[in-house]
Amino acid sequence: VRTPIAFYLMLSGILFMLGTVGVLTRKNALLIFMSVELQLNAVNLALVARGCTTT
Amino acid sequence: MLLVRNAVHAALFLIVNFFCLAVFYLLLDAPFLFAVQIVVYAGAIMVLFLFVIMLLGVDSGVPVRERLLIQRPLAFVLAAAFVVELFLAIRAGVGFATRAPDVFAANDGGNTQAVAKVLFTQYFFPFEVTSVLLLVAAIAAMVLAHRKAPTVTQAEIDAAAGKLEAGEMPVYGAGGAP
Repeated sequence: VRTPIAFYLMLSGILFMLGTVGVLTRKNALLIFMSVELQLNAVNLALVARGCTTT
Repeated sequence: MLLVRNAVHAALFLIVNFFCLAVFYLLLDAPFLFAVQIVVYAGAIMVLFLFVIMLLGVDSGVPVRERLLIQRPLAFVLAAAFVVELFLAIRAGVGFATRAPDVFAANDGGNTQAVAKVLFTQYFFPFEVTSVLLLVAAIAAMVLAHRKAPTVTQAEIDAAAGKLEAGEMPVYGAGGAP
């Protein structure tokens, strides 16, 4: 049983949203950078999920 | 990670997040990416973050009064709108059907070997461009971190020489106790 790609994409979207909230609300530059890392990881997850399944 | 005050706690939550993502990579038939995620992100990058946090000092325990009164709820509202829009786009674009993966054929003979084969043949030029980008970043870091040496003007040299001749400055290494 394979998990549909849409769930991975939704999780990626949620992570990206959390990173965006972190970028917008944090004031420390280092914490903003950590939130950007979270966004990068979300995009990585989307790319891997897309590459795992074929159209 | 977003709501905690302490920066070190936020970094630790980010480590937990990285490990969860590594497990997702393992579920997606990417064991090489799993290992790289744990080694690079949870190992190197988080050590870098914690090192910088410890080096710069954490203002822990002292809750800074937030002056971003309007931005904070606005950020949450905009993020919620963004994620709803993203869900609609995913539902319209991809759908929720499970598709049969053929990644097993690509992973014949090991995932790491497959990654290396593709990376060094088909995607060799982007790989080299990435390495050049890393080199540029390293050189830029060195240039930015390099402090400018104090320049000595000719007038200062002349003034120092004048003081030396007038006997106002002690001459070291010339023998003889002052």
